[in-house]
This record gives sequence, C-alpha cells and structure tokens, in this order.
Amino acid sequence: MTDFLSLILEPLQEVFLTFKIFLPNLLAMLVIMILGVILARIIRFMLVKSLTAINFDSWSDRMGFTTLMRKGDLWAKPSAMLGSVVLWLLITVTLMIGLSALKIPTIDSLVEQFFGYLPRVFSAVLILIIGYVLAGFISRGVLIAAVNSGYHYAKLLAEAIRTLLTVLILAMVMEQLQIAPSIVLAAFSIIFGGIVVALSISFGVGGIDAAKRMIERESAENCAAGVKDEIEHI
Amino acid sequence: MINAVALRAEVHDQIKKIGYADIVVGIPSFNNAKTIGHVVRAIQVGLAKYFPRNKAVIVNSDGGSSDGTIGMVQNTSIEDFDAILLHRRVEPISKIAFPYAGIPGKGSAFRSIFEVAKMLDAKACVVVDSDLRSITPEWIELLVKPVLEGGFDYVAPLYHRHKFDGTITNSIVYPLTRTLYGRRVRQPIGGDFGFSGKLAQFYLTQDVWESDVARFGIDIWMTTTAMANGFKVAQSFLGAKIHDAKDPGADLSSMLYQVVSATFELMEHHADTWMPIRGSEPVTTFGFEYTVGLEHVNVNTARMLNLFREGLNNLREIWLDILGAGDFREVERLGTLSDAEFEFPLSLWVRVIYDYAIAFHKRKLPVEHLIKSLTPLYVGKTASFILMAESMNAVEAEAEIEKLCVEFESSKDYLINSWKK
Repeated sequence: MTDFLSLILEPLQEVFLTFKIFLPNLLAMLVIMILGVILARIIRFMLVKSLTAINFDSWSDRMGFTTLMRKGDLWAKPSAMLGSVVLWLLITVTLMIGLSALKIPTIDSLVEQFFGYLPRVFSAVLILIIGYVLAGFISRGVLIAAVNSGYHYAKLLAEAIRTLLTVLILAMVMEQLQIAPSIVLAAFSIIFGGIVVALSISFGVGGIDAAKRMIERESAENCAAGVKDEIEHI
Repeated sequence: MINAVALRAEVHDQIKKIGYADIVVGIPSFNNAKTIGHVVRAIQVGLAKYFPRNKAVIVNSDGGSSDGTIGMVQNTSIEDFDAILLHRRVEPISKIAFPYAGIPGKGSAFRSIFEVAKMLDAKACVVVDSDLRSITPEWIELLVKPVLEGGFDYVAPLYHRHKFDGTITNSIVYPLTRTLYGRRVRQPIGGDFGFSGKLAQFYLTQDVWESDVARFGIDIWMTTTAMANGFKVAQSFLGAKIHDAKDPGADLSSMLYQVVSATFELMEHHADTWMPIRGSEPVTTFGFEYTVGLEHVNVNTARMLNLFREGLNNLREIWLDILGAGDFREVERLGTLSDAEFEFPLSLWVRVIYDYAIAFHKRKLPVEHLIKSLTPLYVGKTASFILMAESMNAVEAEAEIEKLCVEFESSKDYLINSWKK
C-alpha cells in the first residue's frame, strides 16, 4: 500500500519541487513584465510630449509621412503613431526578457533569435524611413527641374523615378530582413531589368511613333518659339 | 569678433608700403581679362579727374582666373593723362591684385576688399563689376562723393535699363526690400556700390562669410545690412548699365533661387526691424538723370506662358500647399486664359511672394525646391508685365512698377499676420 502511495506521490512531489523551483522565475517574469509595461507607457508619454514640443507632426506633414500614413488608413497623429510603435516595441522586448527569466531552454533559444534579429529590424526601418524621404526629395527635385526646363512629361518622369527608387528601397528592406533573399533578389532584378528593357523596347520598337511625336512636338515648339529671350532677369 | 580673412604675405607687404588710403576701389573678378582693362582705365581717370588730391588704391580681388585677369589689371594704365584731363593728378594711384581666399564667390572677393580697406583705414570705398562696358569716370565721382563729402554711408546705383530688363529686381527684390525696410533703393542688387570705411568695417564684423552671402548673396546683403542697421543710404544715377553678355547657359531658376533665398534669409534675420515699418520714403538721389538709348530686347511671351501652364499642370500640389486654396484658385484661373487675355493681377502676385516668404519662414519645403518652384509663377508674372508694357514708354513702365510697390506696401499686414501665426 505504501509502495502504491509513494508511486502516486513521488511524481506529485517532483511536480511540486519543479514548480517550487519554477515559481520564483514565474514571479520574476511577471514583475519584469509589469515594470516593463509601466516603463514603456512612461517612455511613450514622454516621447509623445517631446515630439509635440518639437513640432514633429508638422515636420511629418512636410516630409510626406502623414500622407503615407493616411494612404495606409492610419488616422492617428504621427507623434501618437510613433509613440504607439515604440510602446509595442518595448512591450515586445519586455515580453522577451520576461520569458527569458523562465529559464526554459526552448524559450531561451527563441529569445536569443529574437534579439539577434532585432538589429536587422532597426536597420530595415531606418532604410525605409531614409529611403522614403530621399525618394520624395529626389522625385520632387526632378519634377521642379523638369518643369522649369519646359519638359512636357515632368510629372511622368518624377513619378517614374519615385517608383524606381521605391522598388529599390523595398528590395533593400526585404534583403535586410532576410525575407526570402534569393526570391527578393531575383524579383528585384526581374522588375528593375524589366522596366529598363520595357522602356527600351517601347521607345525603340513599339513606341517609335510615340517617341517621334514627342520629339516632333518638342522641336516644333522650339521652332515656333523662334525668338530667343534676351531679358536680363537681374 | 569674426576672424580676419587671410591675405597673402606679399599683399600685406604692399599694403604696408602704401600705408593708408582715402579711397579704395575694389573690383571682384573671375576670367574678365577682356573687359577689366576698360574698367581699370575708367577708375583711374575717375580718380584722377575727381579726386586728384586723395590717395587712392585699386584692389582687384580675383577668384583664380586663368585668362590673365590679374596681369591685365597690373598692366593697365593711362599712358597720357594730359590727353584726357585738363589738370594733372597730384597723388599716385596704387594697384593691388591678388587671388582671394575663402569660399569661391563674389562675397569672398568683397570680404578681401573690405579687409584691405580696413588695413588702409580708407574713408570711402567703391566696388564695381569687372565686366562693365558702360562704366565712365563719372561713376567713381557719383559713388564716392556722397560718402566723402555728403556724410552718407552707402550709395546704391541707379541705372536706366530697358523696361523688360531687371525683372527679378522689378517684380520681387525692389518692391519687397522697399516695403520691408521703408527705403526706396531702386537697384538693391545693382552690383556697383559706394560705402564708407566705417560701413566696410561693420560688414567685416558680421558672421556671414562662411554662408551663402560669401557665394552669391552679397549685393542684397550689403544693401539690406546698411538699411536695417540705420546707416545713411543714398543712390546715384549712373546712366546705362551695359556689361558682358551673361553665360547663356545660366539657369533662370538658379538665379531666382540665389536672389530670392538671400532676400528671404535677410527677412528672417531682420524680422524685428522690418515688422514695425509701414510705408516707404525716397532716399537722396545724386547725379543728373538723362535719357539713355537702350538696345532692343527680344522676348517670347508665348514660350513664357507655356512654361507657366506647365508649372500649373505639374506643380499643383506644391503650389496648393504654399499658396493655400484661395490664391491657388486664382492662379488656376490664370491658366485658363488665352495668351492675349493673360494678366497676372498685382494683388495676387504680392500674395504669392508673401506666401513664399512665409513658406520659407516656416520651412515648408527644402529651400532650393521651394524657391525653384516659384519659377513658373515668376515667368507668368514677367510675361504678363511684358504684354502690358509692350506699348508703354519707360516712364509708363516705371509707373507700373510703382503701382506694384504700393500694392506690396498696402498688403504688408497680411505678411506680418501670417508670419506670426
């Protein structure tokens, strides 16, 4: 009978002992997560206040970030949006630190992978932001320069440049995130190369007439313009 | 105190040898060997004729010319003054020619000239362009005498120009500076100025010599700094300004960017000075005004209006953001007019310039994009003026510019209110 009882109690004892060892880890995880969430909320609050103070929302309007958010059906203020992003990032980091406190080998390796991947996410976000600003700046510069040169297809040219740059930036982001890098590389080469080949063919063969019309229109206007301006503007 | 510009040791030696000067005449140059000889001769005769008893120095501050400009300055002299003048000059005229140091640009060239004037303790200074073909000895008298004998600190030029020339000056820079600072200096970016030694020293103390002022904004900066800091300002009628043909490749939008960005930057700097000023007053004008025969100027308004319409089609979002919905609607209406009907209303043009100044103040766009996006609007306004002034004589065309100035002045509250928002 005693043997039978010990047969039942021993596993229970083992479970209890394991739980006794595990309990402080669990408590540590809970404390880490509660403190982490509180800290994340404080950081979000301070970040939003600071961003409002430095007119981040107006800057985002100017840089086109607000427009980009609206296109993505995000209607919060850019400062609040950035605050939320930072909050959830910190909560995720807290969750990972909390989980690592449990000292479970499988979770430990998951956490390790997460923190190993984090720098890639940061560089990808950085590439995306800088790339977006740069693409906007370059395409606007091209648009203004083309208009001031009297080029008829200024907007088309600027949009084409913006699209090409966006494709390039997205490919860089995907490559950074290591999301199917070989497929991204192949897709990028096909799209980029395809655009160039399509343009060459359309202008070289299929678009001979269109290209001819464009050139004729330009030269006709130059001829019609006839008289050269001699104004001294300054 | 701002660090002094580095002048070469041999320049220092030359300055030491000369000791002091009453008048310093500066000529900034860059590859102007073809024209600078005439400028130097006119200056020499001007100094000999009008200031025979004053010690004078001609300073050529060169941007590294490769066509022998400096040599031309050194070797140019009047062989026989007796053939030109009725009396002999008492004081000799010294010449210093050197390549300036610093950021390449007219401003850096001027800085070296100011430095030389300071070291020579000059009472009066003059700067003239090195590509002038119409400079006469009288220019030196007209730019120096108000300083030496009239107690003025700054003398701006007043030229007679073709009614279609100087359109950036006529439609933006003159009306705007007049409205802001309350002084009617007709050619604030003329390029040929007279000023006192005191003002030259004041210029040197300003912290601008590593900025765009050193590159391209020196003319408007000198005029505005003199006006905004309470220096006594006058202008002198110099006749016609004819100079070497400008580089045909010079891009209009780049010119517009240089001039307008420099003017707007000065608005930022002197906001406290210009805000309380209302109306404007004429400045003392020296010289005998006479009619000048001017060469015909070819213009192609059809091409200009096409550029305006291209701008309207392509820059819609940018203009809407800068001008606001109300003014943009008016600009849009202009796009529907035929060439014959096209007329850019003065009130709209004034608001366009004020809106751009406010957009610059609020940094709505990168500065270069902002100002260059003004080009089609400016071209449209210029075409409108040309169409209207085609049958006008010079006096009538000038009256139209005066109307624009009055419109700028009467709308100044709009600028101030929007600026403060």
